[in-house]
Amino acid sequence: MSSRIAILAAFLAVAVAIAIAARPHDPTAGERVDRITAELRCPVCQGLSVKDSGSETARQMRDLVAQRVAEGRSDSEILAEFRTSYGDWILLSPPLSSWSLLIWLVPVAALAAGLWIARSRIRGGAVLAPPPSPSELASLRERVAAEEAAEG
Amino acid sequence: MSAGDLGAGALRAALFLALWGTGAAVYAAWRRDARALSSARVSAAVAFALVVVAALSMMFALATHDFSILYVAENNARETPLLYSLAGLWAALEGSILLWTAILAGATAFVAIRGTAVLPRLGTTALAVLFAMLSFFLLLVTTPAADPFVRLALAPDNGNGPNPLLQNHPLMALHPPLLYLGYVLAAVPFAYAIASLILGEGGDRWLVATRHFALVSWALLGVGIVAGAWWSYAVLGWGGYWAWDPVENAAIMPWLTATAYLHSVMVEEKRRLLRTWNISLVVATFALTILGTFLTRSGVVNSVHSFTQSAIGPLLLGYLTAILVLSVGLLLWRSPQLRDAGPVGAPLSREAIFLFQNVVFMAATLTVLLGTLYPLVAEAISGAQLSIGGPYFDRVEIPLALALLFLMGIGPQLPWHGASRATLERQFTAPAVAAAVGAVAALLTGTTAVAAVLTYALAAFVVATVVQEFARGARARRALHGETGMTAFANLFRRNGRRYGGYVVHLGIVLVALAVATSQARTVDAERTLAPGETLAVAGYEVRLEGVRSVVEPQRDSVVADLVISGNGASDRLHPALVAYPNSPAAVGAPGIGAGLRDDLYTILAAYDQRSLSWATIRIRVIPLVSWLWLGGLVIGLGAVIAALPAPRRRPARMPVIEAPAPAD
Amino acid sequence: MARIARIAVVVAMLGLVLTLALAFRRDPHDIRTGTVGKPAPAFSLARLDGSGQLSLAQYAGKTVVVNFFASWCLPCEQENPALVRVYERYRGSDVVLIGIDYQESADGGLAYVRRMGISWPTVADDDGRVALGYGVFGPPETFFIGPDGVIAGRHIGPIDEPTLVRAIEAIRTAATQ
Repeated sequence: MSSRIAILAAFLAVAVAIAIAARPHDPTAGERVDRITAELRCPVCQGLSVKDSGSETARQMRDLVAQRVAEGRSDSEILAEFRTSYGDWILLSPPLSSWSLLIWLVPVAALAAGLWIARSRIRGGAVLAPPPSPSELASLRERVAAEEAAEG
Repeated sequence: MSAGDLGAGALRAALFLALWGTGAAVYAAWRRDARALSSARVSAAVAFALVVVAALSMMFALATHDFSILYVAENNARETPLLYSLAGLWAALEGSILLWTAILAGATAFVAIRGTAVLPRLGTTALAVLFAMLSFFLLLVTTPAADPFVRLALAPDNGNGPNPLLQNHPLMALHPPLLYLGYVLAAVPFAYAIASLILGEGGDRWLVATRHFALVSWALLGVGIVAGAWWSYAVLGWGGYWAWDPVENAAIMPWLTATAYLHSVMVEEKRRLLRTWNISLVVATFALTILGTFLTRSGVVNSVHSFTQSAIGPLLLGYLTAILVLSVGLLLWRSPQLRDAGPVGAPLSREAIFLFQNVVFMAATLTVLLGTLYPLVAEAISGAQLSIGGPYFDRVEIPLALALLFLMGIGPQLPWHGASRATLERQFTAPAVAAAVGAVAALLTGTTAVAAVLTYALAAFVVATVVQEFARGARARRALHGETGMTAFANLFRRNGRRYGGYVVHLGIVLVALAVATSQARTVDAERTLAPGETLAVAGYEVRLEGVRSVVEPQRDSVVADLVISGNGASDRLHPALVAYPNSPAAVGAPGIGAGLRDDLYTILAAYDQRSLSWATIRIRVIPLVSWLWLGGLVIGLGAVIAALPAPRRRPARMPVIEAPAPAD
Repeated sequence: MARIARIAVVVAMLGLVLTLALAFRRDPHDIRTGTVGKPAPAFSLARLDGSGQLSLAQYAGKTVVVNFFASWCLPCEQENPALVRVYERYRGSDVVLIGIDYQESADGGLAYVRRMGISWPTVADDDGRVALGYGVFGPPETFFIGPDGVIAGRHIGPIDEPTLVRAIEAIRTAATQ
């Protein structure tokens, strides 16, 4: 009984910690620049983000984003400005348009389908196994002993 | 005779032997012919020796700067130091394929000598499959597609030298061979699985025969991936270790399916379930290694690693297609004979957790595959150009990784068949409390990202389950065998290395997860142009620029910034540089890294005064816990070694023992 | 159920192989971006020779060829003779050539301009803002702007004379129709 309470209390503590971490807070300008530049692909690099790249072009893009943030533009306005110049190519995480919707749907669908198939393979009925009866226990002990002897 | 002639001749002789061996092994398996088998065995051993001779003669040619060979002229220079000359074997396409062929020849020889002795029919059929694959690779290295020994009529005075990125760090000598070993050894379980399907053996003998190969291949792939992450961290100069680059994706995909396999195979061994599924995983792992080679070597995707566009692309695609058609065809044909022994146990049984874990691994693999290939699909269909990079993969893969961490804590705590409520409470009280402590610790140390807090909680959860397992196992040994604490502990590894080595691997994964979560959530950047004597403060550290100087070496010219680090108890001198090699128009950044168990200081020389060296622009990233990632790789390797070591012969148990769950005290 | 799974496996396999085969038609260096067909971003930049500002608006109603270059860029030197010939050919017409010095301060660019004998107007984009607005990946890049102020075409990498003339003439024909 006491262990059940301990487990519940622990779950609660984790949930509270996550709620504290997830509480909404206003991002600073620096956090916003990081967030936006992490989504932008550096045009002169091999697949790096503007945030991560040390190239001159990336530095200029970071400056531009910082300036736009200071001007009070929203994240989506700033991203849209780069999309106008460079096309969807500039976004490292494709926007939810007709075609690229697929890449967001497929992982979710695969997971759902997989879990559904797994479920159909699992023995139905009780989640919890009944405690073994004394005779089952005895036969289990025998089997384990046999397996142990065989394994070596 | 020159090294080039020797190597080229050896490869052609090896091709002949491989083709002969394929025929001999097929005949031997079909007619159970002992003479054909011994002929195939000799062919395999000699072919291996010949390919090793070829690889060594290439290394000799590289070390002695024999520029009459095109490959040497393109990837080596007189000034190249010996280590990078030798590593030149895997610095470009033709050499890598040669190394690949050499490893495959080694695996073929091993199966020919050991495998056919243990399980004659199955082993011989597997040998035929391996011989056929070896023939394909030998065909590549003896035709213009990837011939490493193409000669130049007129040898140049000096060569181009290796790609600057590939001669900047000694890890280059380590990470490609590890990855290749991992990739190629996956061929052995594949060959046995195919052999088992061809022969219609419904049993699990193929799986027992290749258990070690699967484990070793998986471990080398995993350690190779971590070493590769370390290389890109130390060389590419942006302070990261993983960019979801196509070649990284190519390496992680087979590792994901192989990890799934190592777990689901236990379900087959214990419960005779998931037979078709396990063969599918082995096939998928192997096909993904070929897909990875294709992606990175054919030039169809942009990558740091796709050096060349070559005729090898269509050939590799043909090979991949042949492998897929053969194995999927065989699987569909034989699957009615691979019926399982019954349903999986209750949802809260170990086998059910393995099943869920496999589903998550599959979703993770599919996501990487889709994300890597989708730009190709989109452009082929609609002409649209789009990018799929870090933010997409992070969004999908991080939740899946967290789910896997959770299952990693749950699975080992549940008995086979199903758990009772008492078992659940006994197994999960301490881990649940640990998870709460982990979450609170994350908050107290200032970690605010949700994913990071969850990672800390789950990491503590997993560590607690592992500690609990070890304590319980050691206690059982003490009670049953009267061993003292330390002996009991050591004997857990010796007697049941597979299980307890597996737990060590889990601890390594936890280290990796903590490193990734913390470095992603809490890296701090700063950048400023400094004159000598000026300082830059970031995250409690002070960085002072001592000066900027230029350094001339035979193979390269560098500009080095000398930095002095202080603060947070650290005191260090770092020397980020910009390095110019004669064969590359752009200078390559060489970061100065101050590694520590708590923070890494990653310094980059972004720009400098080209006239009088009177200022330098320094970029600094303070990256916490990133060194735990390399430690984690080491621990994973260690765990795999423990799991792979053969258990000593066991004395008959003195009394019947129930392993897990232990009876309630 | 089992049949659906079999079909799914075969279809997925075919899709994979087909995708990879199609990928051979693709050139990873061919990157098309969003600015073609859109109004050319306005700019006003300092001339390299220090003779004041130059703004795109001055050339409204003309065909403007905007060439991004840099003094450290070798392909730019390669393409320069073609630019010189085309500049001479259209001198005095309604076709204007503007050079934008990419990510560079005026002094570095000016030496290059003198050395290469460039006599068309050149301006410095030292903070790279104009290049970002046009979606430039790196020099050399050339944009063709019609009299209506819309970007009609773009060329990435070194350009030759026939390509330049073809692009300019296409705009002029379109404008006269």
